[in-house]
Amino acid sequence: MTLTEISRAIARFLGFDPPTDQAAAQVILALIDALLIFGFLMLGVLVLIYVFRKIVGFIQARLGPRYTGPRGILQTLADALKLLRKEDIIPRAADRIAFNLAPLMVFLPAYLVYIVIPFGDPETGLVVRDLNVGVLYLLSISSVTVIGIVTAGWASANKWSLLGGMRSGAQLISYEVPMTLVFAVPVLLAGSLRLSDIVRAQGEFFWQWNAFRLDFFPFTLLAFITFLICALAETNQTPFDLPEAESELVAGFHVEYSGFKFAIFFLAEFGNTIAISAIATHLFLGGWKAPFPFLPDSGFWSLGWFFFKVSLLVLLIIWIRGTLLRVRIDQVMELGWKVLLPIGLICVTGVGLLVSIRPSPTEQAKQKVAVVSECPVSLQKDDGPFRWCRTHGRT
Amino acid sequence: MVQQLTTDTILGRLSESIPVIASQSPTPHRLYIEVPKDRVKEACRILFEDLQGRYTITVGTDRRPVNGKFEVLHFFSFDRDNIRMAVRVFLDPDDLTLESITPVIPGAGWAEREIQDLVGIRVIGHPDPRPLALPDGFPEGLYPLRKDYPYNYQPPLDEGKTFPFKEPPPDATVVTVGPFFPVLEEPSQWRLFVDGEIVVGCDYRGFYNHRAIEKLGDSVLTYNQIVFLAERICGICGCVHSTSYCQAVEEAAGIEVPLRARVIRSLILELERVHSHLLWLGLACHIVGFDYGFMQSWRIREPVMWLAEYLTGSRKHFSINLVGGVRRDIVPDQFDRILSVADDVDRQTNELVKAIQDDTALIARLKGVGIFTPEEVRLSGAVGPTARGSGVAIDARRDHPYAAYDLLQFEVVTHDGCDTLARTLVRIGEIFESLKMIRQCVNLLKDIPVGDLLGEIPEEIPPLKDGMHAVEAPRGEVFHYVLTGYENRPYRWRVRAPSYQNIQSVPMMFKEGTYLADVPITLGSVDPCFSCTERMEVVDQGRSQSYTLEEKDLLRLSRSKYRALKATERK
Repeated sequence: MTLTEISRAIARFLGFDPPTDQAAAQVILALIDALLIFGFLMLGVLVLIYVFRKIVGFIQARLGPRYTGPRGILQTLADALKLLRKEDIIPRAADRIAFNLAPLMVFLPAYLVYIVIPFGDPETGLVVRDLNVGVLYLLSISSVTVIGIVTAGWASANKWSLLGGMRSGAQLISYEVPMTLVFAVPVLLAGSLRLSDIVRAQGEFFWQWNAFRLDFFPFTLLAFITFLICALAETNQTPFDLPEAESELVAGFHVEYSGFKFAIFFLAEFGNTIAISAIATHLFLGGWKAPFPFLPDSGFWSLGWFFFKVSLLVLLIIWIRGTLLRVRIDQVMELGWKVLLPIGLICVTGVGLLVSIRPSPTEQAKQKVAVVSECPVSLQKDDGPFRWCRTHGRT
Repeated sequence: MVQQLTTDTILGRLSESIPVIASQSPTPHRLYIEVPKDRVKEACRILFEDLQGRYTITVGTDRRPVNGKFEVLHFFSFDRDNIRMAVRVFLDPDDLTLESITPVIPGAGWAEREIQDLVGIRVIGHPDPRPLALPDGFPEGLYPLRKDYPYNYQPPLDEGKTFPFKEPPPDATVVTVGPFFPVLEEPSQWRLFVDGEIVVGCDYRGFYNHRAIEKLGDSVLTYNQIVFLAERICGICGCVHSTSYCQAVEEAAGIEVPLRARVIRSLILELERVHSHLLWLGLACHIVGFDYGFMQSWRIREPVMWLAEYLTGSRKHFSINLVGGVRRDIVPDQFDRILSVADDVDRQTNELVKAIQDDTALIARLKGVGIFTPEEVRLSGAVGPTARGSGVAIDARRDHPYAAYDLLQFEVVTHDGCDTLARTLVRIGEIFESLKMIRQCVNLLKDIPVGDLLGEIPEEIPPLKDGMHAVEAPRGEVFHYVLTGYENRPYRWRVRAPSYQNIQSVPMMFKEGTYLADVPITLGSVDPCFSCTERMEVVDQGRSQSYTLEEKDLLRLSRSKYRALKATERK
């Protein structure tokens, strides 16, 4: 059963027969899709927060939540309910419209990115819209977050939140540049902006995935690492949690928010963490593919592999968050502009050059015998991006 | 080679240019000199600049019931030569003015503002004569430390009055850190003048923790009660205060403390240093967002607290001291546990320190932050790890031995980095030195025969004797001055916590181009302890009577406040 089929089934259950009215059917199906994604986001964040607290607790020699539900698994739910019941305070000096709008502006991008992210093999229908400009869409949508954060900081009429907002603005804009550059690497390799194409362009074995592939070593690996660092910065995770640095800025841009609106910021932050891990999975880690071709990865297996990889990345982020410390704003800027940006440029240039000078697939296969002799598998099964690009045609 | 100073040479040097009215040297390590009122500044300049003495504190006393005069004492310390001295001046109640020494010794700034606030001695020529210790709106002309001020009198406060804060420079915004701030455990208010993320200046308003401790000491409590009050001056390093107080009284009364009691004092003091430094290390990590270090360091610290509870009956306020000795013995059965805890803490701290020193990001956050030069150390009178992090090797344990420190082998840990990293490394080094000393203390206890834990205490402690003593607290030198009095209590008791000098030095650490993000860690690097610093004066700002708030009262209060808020909003 695919996502669309599920939606259709739900629609029929509601007494609505899709084929009779195409336009209305589209709207209804889209709404159901939206609800499904929302449900996934909520559930994912609930689980993530619990796992996050437990693991960070373990790293820091603490216990984490213990009492609400068995082993404390209901703690996040209880916290969420508590937040919803809290008084919604709007400071008197605040810009009311902007203040109320800001949480939405932060949350919506975190939610909308899921539209193009395949949760598994799109042939099974595990994606809402497999847009042909998927990567472009991701980049543009995720850039909106910064506007929300700066708005929140400014509208609160609080110096701490303003400082947090400005820091956030500086940080997110700085890291967007290297991030955009390394986004180009998988796009160059696949010759397509569609996320499912990018995944298909990566090989069957895990050493043929973009992050680990040897024929573009070290550019793709560097690009992957750069992407991860930028991802941490884009999601305001430690060591780049300056916009909400407790010990410096009290709570940064959301210091004046309470109750439901605060919960939305929280939701967006963790939703972004999952989203960025999912994007990294697709761009660099072979998406829904199994690490070896003999392992099943079709149909709903692809869903499993996708979530497995996303979980690993999320765990990595939690691990980093549990062990690292916060760097200073000038150090953040230095890392962004003086280290990551050059690396991003080198990656794009290197991959671009290699893509353009590499000979056609047949010659490439010959050359591989000479160059990558230590990697016989690529001989047996040359399904690299070029053959794929050539056979499917670049447009 | 600098000439070795003795009390005689100091007196000689002063007599050359100043008519010394009287001098008194009860021991070779103590000196009291009385000078005429108009030559005080000159005398302090000679001691501070020519003889390179370290300024300690200024004490103002209302001696009218005794000799009809006010008294001001400026204390100096010659650490190399183990001499502590005081410049004494008597003031006529009709002309309560004194020339300020702050232009010469910036570190005296607070102490002089304090005597202005509390004793009512006007300091002429002070560069910043604003109030320091009293709450805003305290009535003019009332001076709580005068003898005619009852300890329990609460004058009505002028609610409209506010503190005269400094004006920020043009183009700078004021960002207020505190009085309540996530990483400041205690209230203090720093008004930072920032230009973007860069700090261009600051102003300080503290002393929110008025607890009337000194006033209680010289008007209500008796000698032995004060020991336990002194312990409660600080929630982290209480034992240093009680030890220092006891030693000051013992010095004034000439009480000899048995060796075994002295060793026990040293042991407990070092135990306190270990837990205090581990606590600080955790907090410092927390300030830079390194919560891993925070939790681990507090995990290591916990067994030290359990050990303290095992030895003294209490995790923190050990209450081990009494005037003349200690309250309870440490018996051979307890030695094993002390040694095993010391070994565990040693090993685990080593592991943590390795993790911290390998963390380049952490080093980058600490290195070069909050530069504090040795010259500034001298000017501000900073003490403890704050001074030793700038390579100034002053340590009361070595320089002015007390308790059993003359029997212990240890190193004074110093670093030349002058920055937050150096101060961190000094504290880490001191943890290991302290553990070493704890083991030595246990060995000493094994050899010393069990005997009296209290020295011979005279029937009555002679009145109007001066006693001063300092203890090297985790944060620096704690200095207590006691002037013995009548009715079994001191006439004047003055506490100078290390943070009193160290917090004054913080503005010096905000060098040009300091980032806002560096402010908490710079402030944290002196390990500020506001409850020590602000031990002072009377006056609960709020209600006159005290009652316990129960849950329903709190609910009622918060609801009525909420309704009032809603009402104003509707208008």
